[in-house]
Amino acid sequence: MKENRSSRIEILIGTIATGLIVLVLGLYILLEPGRIQTAQAGTLAVQLDDSMNLYAENCAVCHGLRGEGIGSTPPLNNPALRSMSSIDLAKTISRGRLNTAMPAWGQGDGGPLSDYQVTELVALIQSGNWITTKDRVVNLGLSPLVPFTTEPDPALLDKVGALPDGAVLQTAIKVFSAQCVSCHGADGLGTKIAPAVNAVLVREKTADDLTLTIKLGRAGTLMAAWSNVLKPEEISALVTLIRRWDEIPVGTIPAPNVPLPTTPESIAQGSSLFSANCSRCHGPEGQGSQRAPAINVKSVLTTTSDQALQQIITNGVPGTAMPVWGTRMSDADIQAIVGFIRQWETTAPEVATPVRGGGGPAWKQTTTQSTTQWWQSLDWRILVGITALLAISFTLISTGYTLLKKSGRVL
Amino acid sequence: MNDDIPEPSILDRMRNRLTPDELPTDDRGRMRMVVDSLVLHLHPTKIPDRTLRWTYTWGLGGLAAVLMTILAFTGVILLNNYTPSAPQAYLDILKLNDNVWFGELIRNLHHWSANLLIIIAVLHLIRVFVTGAYRPPRELNWLLGVAMLLLVLGANFTGYLLPWDQLAYWAITVGTGIISYIPLIGNWLTRLILGGPEVSGNTLLNFYSMHIAIIPLIIFGLMSYHFWRVRKDGGLSIPKSLEESETGVEPKMERLTTIPNLVQKELLYTLVWIAVILVFAMLVQAPLEGIANPDISPNPAKAPWYFMGLQEMLLHFHPLVGAIILPGLAITGIILLPFLDINPKNVGVYFRSRRGRALVLLAAGLSLIATPAWVLMDEYLLNWNGWLPTWPSLISNGLIPLAVISLPLILLDDWVRKSFHADTEERVLFIASFLFTAFVVLTIIGIFFRGPGMALYLPWNMPASSH
Repeated sequence: MKENRSSRIEILIGTIATGLIVLVLGLYILLEPGRIQTAQAGTLAVQLDDSMNLYAENCAVCHGLRGEGIGSTPPLNNPALRSMSSIDLAKTISRGRLNTAMPAWGQGDGGPLSDYQVTELVALIQSGNWITTKDRVVNLGLSPLVPFTTEPDPALLDKVGALPDGAVLQTAIKVFSAQCVSCHGADGLGTKIAPAVNAVLVREKTADDLTLTIKLGRAGTLMAAWSNVLKPEEISALVTLIRRWDEIPVGTIPAPNVPLPTTPESIAQGSSLFSANCSRCHGPEGQGSQRAPAINVKSVLTTTSDQALQQIITNGVPGTAMPVWGTRMSDADIQAIVGFIRQWETTAPEVATPVRGGGGPAWKQTTTQSTTQWWQSLDWRILVGITALLAISFTLISTGYTLLKKSGRVL
Repeated sequence: MNDDIPEPSILDRMRNRLTPDELPTDDRGRMRMVVDSLVLHLHPTKIPDRTLRWTYTWGLGGLAAVLMTILAFTGVILLNNYTPSAPQAYLDILKLNDNVWFGELIRNLHHWSANLLIIIAVLHLIRVFVTGAYRPPRELNWLLGVAMLLLVLGANFTGYLLPWDQLAYWAITVGTGIISYIPLIGNWLTRLILGGPEVSGNTLLNFYSMHIAIIPLIIFGLMSYHFWRVRKDGGLSIPKSLEESETGVEPKMERLTTIPNLVQKELLYTLVWIAVILVFAMLVQAPLEGIANPDISPNPAKAPWYFMGLQEMLLHFHPLVGAIILPGLAITGIILLPFLDINPKNVGVYFRSRRGRALVLLAAGLSLIATPAWVLMDEYLLNWNGWLPTWPSLISNGLIPLAVISLPLILLDDWVRKSFHADTEERVLFIASFLFTAFVVLTIIGIFFRGPGMALYLPWNMPASSH
């Protein structure tokens, strides 16, 4: 009789389980199209997020902050490109375009990007948001210099003309200022996208090697084949310049003076970095102190370009207390600080009033450092956890021990 | 010819072959049906009523078999959507999630069943252990079960890599790192398994073939053998109450026919668990992170959860001790159990005896306190390498801490033996409960309390994983 009842309960539970399986499967089928749509949107969002980093690191330098194109590089933010087929876009990116500065990016063609990364860039071109892309490029400190080109310093250019074969060097400097400076940097000192060409190791290379590199480019890097763009005599002039760069005065090929773009995030980042690293000496508002000069003054801000500020922070000022920050902070961090400092320009006073005081023995100084004791970091969860653990184990131990003593008597 | 009965049609004849006209209602008829039935050749015709109790086996072995079946079915479906090559594998998982109807559900089912299987297999082992059911004549089946548990871990581990996301990549990197601590052959073995110096497309292909062919084939063979041995060894061990085992009275048993008594319970259990797993898989997503990137290692990089106890031990012992000697001793001990335990009594009694039950409680309670205390001490106070700077690390950071934690255990064991006259199997229970609780605690600490740099953090203060 008892067996029968429990058997009936089992059958009832089994029936309920079966009903449940059928029910949830039915519900799931109804929800599946919606789930697939959400999943697709989620994947696209992740890919677009990744692709903005890829764009900032690889493409922004030529195609611009927001895909607008710089100089002769085509814009990417246009509807025609957006409607191109994924396969064509992927092929263009991975294989490059012959006779243009577009190199092959796919790993299969000697480039740095995997097929998956190329897919992500295609997603960016087809359905990305170029405004957020711009913010991403700025926040990563990878905004390209626009314009691409710079003007050689006229006085120093004349000096170069006085050197032996000066005319050849002058031609080369003009070509470099127009074509190479965007990647190889002011005075050929290199940037984060291309190596320095003003370096001893490069100088030691043979003229043939250098000519070949410029003519044919370097596979797997941004270095395009320049034989289609430059005349042979320009290339040979550039080779001469590279091999004799030690004779060229510093500052002949200056960086173009353009304001660094900022975003709200980069300014917030710059603000917190400034108060953490700079305010000790330069004052919380940049008003200066006994230790370091004021920055938040009209005279400083109007005469110092963003590039100059960046260079001062990166390399420090030798002979003063201003240290080299380039080894401790990323370029993005330094650019964020520059952007934050630049903000003061509109409100900067004519004369700064530096911070005073702060001297004297430590116990006479007012500190804002909070004195937290270790017990203040205890919260109720730790107490509950420890109490529960102790309670459980002591219950187990005492029950176990009592039973153990009893069991000893039984046998 | 008889004109009254019409010739059955071909359809009728086919149906008659498939469904008997009427199901037998008497025991004799049912037994006949079982003997005649190919599907039911697995079970004996009659079984003791006691072995049907839920509270004895908890249906763990059967559930493991059900999970295996779910894994086989979902696994075959997943095969149709998968390419075992380096970036494509990840794209295929994305495609499965984004474009395939029920794709995500199938993946979730496979993922959660695989993880549940590990827990269930361990619980099954524990049930057999604490009831003494591994004793002769079932010692071979115990060994088969241990082998299958290791294979299930292997299957799960190899499957872990297949999605080719960051989680998979770095968990396998950490997990295979443990293998390289095996003396002499460690590095060679790691290279063999990885198909190169690090996790790569070759590893993916290696793991794929192991995951979909080699391991499942072996498990399938062992499973059949395991089932067959259950029957050859006289069915399940018979559950007994404490009183029965203490007084030595042989329990009275009724033998029930397998159909419907056992089969109904099996079907019920299967249905309930399928419903539970299905609902769980619909609600909880299997994890999937960004595509595997060898250049960006997450901090902390953790092994799969079931190896976190091992990874945690590596933080406290020299690798040779933590990763090889201790787990090796544990597995050897598990294998030797049926040959160490010479007491034929008390089989079928949970925790063997009154004293056994008390000892298990005591051991679990002690371990629950001692293990976190040891972890905290080792993190903040102990510094063997610093105290013994000229000693080899294997001794200062391996054998000495091993001795330090073994000593109290040996003393406890001695105390239990002398003061309470515990038998061998009770002492084995005591030590095993202590060590198992310690392993579970270490696993929990490893999973929930370890943050960046594998430093201790509280779960609610855990900093986000950095790179």
